[in-house]
Amino acid sequence: MSIIQAKNIYKVYNETHVPVHALNGVDLEIEKGEFTAIVGPSGSGKTTLLNIIGGLDLPTEGDIFIEGTNLKTLSSRQLIDFRLHNIGFVFQAYNLIPVLTALENTEFILELQGVSKKEREKRAMEILKTVDIADKRDHKPGQLSGGQQQRVAVARALVSQPKYIIADEPTANLDSKSTEELLTLMKKMNEKFQTTFVFATHDQRVMDKARRIITIEDGKAVKDETFER
Amino acid sequence: MLLAIAWRNLWRNGRRTVIGAAAVFMALVLSLLMLSMKYGSLEQMVSAGVNQVGDLQVHSAGYFENKSIDHAFFDNKNVDVTFKKIPEIKRVVPHLETFSLASYGKQTKGIMVSGIDPKLEDIQSGLSKKIIKGHYLEKGDEVLIGDNMAEFLKINVGDSIVLLGQGYRGITAYGIYKVAGIFHLPSLQMNSSLLYMNMQDAQSFVYPYQKGLLTGFSIYLKKTSQLKAVQKQVGKDLGKDYEIIPWQTILSNLLETVATSKAGTQVFVLILYVVAAFGIFSTILMMTMEKRKQYAVMVSIGMNRGRLVWMSILETFMVSIIGVVTSLAVASPILFYMHYHPIPVTGNLAEMYLQYNIEPVMPFSVSPYLFISQTSIILILSFLSALYPVIYVLKFNVLNAFRH
Repeated sequence: MSIIQAKNIYKVYNETHVPVHALNGVDLEIEKGEFTAIVGPSGSGKTTLLNIIGGLDLPTEGDIFIEGTNLKTLSSRQLIDFRLHNIGFVFQAYNLIPVLTALENTEFILELQGVSKKEREKRAMEILKTVDIADKRDHKPGQLSGGQQQRVAVARALVSQPKYIIADEPTANLDSKSTEELLTLMKKMNEKFQTTFVFATHDQRVMDKARRIITIEDGKAVKDETFER
Repeated sequence: MLLAIAWRNLWRNGRRTVIGAAAVFMALVLSLLMLSMKYGSLEQMVSAGVNQVGDLQVHSAGYFENKSIDHAFFDNKNVDVTFKKIPEIKRVVPHLETFSLASYGKQTKGIMVSGIDPKLEDIQSGLSKKIIKGHYLEKGDEVLIGDNMAEFLKINVGDSIVLLGQGYRGITAYGIYKVAGIFHLPSLQMNSSLLYMNMQDAQSFVYPYQKGLLTGFSIYLKKTSQLKAVQKQVGKDLGKDYEIIPWQTILSNLLETVATSKAGTQVFVLILYVVAAFGIFSTILMMTMEKRKQYAVMVSIGMNRGRLVWMSILETFMVSIIGVVTSLAVASPILFYMHYHPIPVTGNLAEMYLQYNIEPVMPFSVSPYLFISQTSIILILSFLSALYPVIYVLKFNVLNAFRH
């Protein structure tokens, strides 16, 4: 069974004024453990699709199922809770909480899930070691480089062992070395934990690592390719 | 962790937080200083009034509404025993008051005769210090009169004044007394119409056939907080033939004046609080706008909006609490110092204070009510300011917030 199933997704913004059709009937299925990139030119609708897959937005038409749960049937509060327990997020601008240290940022989701202090500290440290940033545990985001911040963001996304991770242009603000390190790291996590990764990107280096590439143009999935990598 | 985030968020832009807290600080310090001084003076005025009339007055039923000599009563042992067995009572001062005509030579005037225990009255009101000519009451058949009355009647110390009026139960009250002294009180009305004589003389003037006639007792308590309990106890012991009137009823006009004066000050304080409210609100507004993206991240990764609401409320209250704590830390020592070392009043104002039997100082109030009420106002303003981030957090669109 697919972990993510999008059926005939339409998304229209500004329906009452000048309607913008961001998605025009997208169908896709993503299996557990996939390392998928959604690519396409700017304004093609990849971020909109990612937001819908990530439960941050709902389609104007069509349904989005996560392991059989139709996100459209969930209330706003249920949707937040669903995201907390099922989805990890890695953002282009890292979006760590600026007043928390690397360790606290990583622990934060576990605290929201009600995990005990001792347990969450243990798990957060383990994942920080895995992403090779444990030595910066007491540093706040402002004291870390872009690559280091993105590692912490990956650690935050992974620490609660979500069903899948949504990453919107995760390498857009990184230099080549940091990009390479981050992609290697995410690939390693994908292989180690069988975590499903879905990226929106225009970065060729990300595309080169992806085992599946879905191309979006004018709000439609126009190409779906798989690679042995 | 919410508490830690809220606290650290405040110091992401410390200068802005300090400005918000400073607005609270200024408003609270100024309002405390101003109200403390005002309340201190008003409390002093009320205290002087209570010192004059007593915490409670006991009359026969109906006297307070209709101050006729026919509502007088004879001081019997039951009343005395009742007062003695209540340990909260500090002092009881009997009084007898009636209206009469006073005449000297060709001049006649309507006056009030007040029978007093000279010793007790002097302890209570310091009447002997108000004598400007002659001496205080020393022996029988002597009276004290006000300077305006003396001027009107063209009478002087050592002259004899004739009193003629209605006595108890319709008899004619009359007598001739020597003017021992002339007093000056702050009230023109008292100076022109009040005559003091000792209690025994007053009782035999009003009703010479039986001793002990009184129009009432003034009861002074050890602690004013015991007023209700003592009022209830005295009322229960004396029964329905007597009325027990608290000072708040007797001095209702004074209390109205006090309330009006307080209201006037409150208007100024209100302006201070409007400034403080804008200070808090603008800080909170900036903090909220600054953290739109942080809020969006938190909600996207699964933070319930309810918890976010608590966090924003915590931040608002922390700004206010910083302002409140610092202002109390600064204002309290000043107020307590001024309470124990009040500002001395000099010149004409000091004379006026003394005439009212008030110590010529400007005391500061340190009533807990003052601190509690002003701090509560700040916290209410904080609560109102917190409504903005609360509404924002409950309504904001995560994706729109990311775009900012």
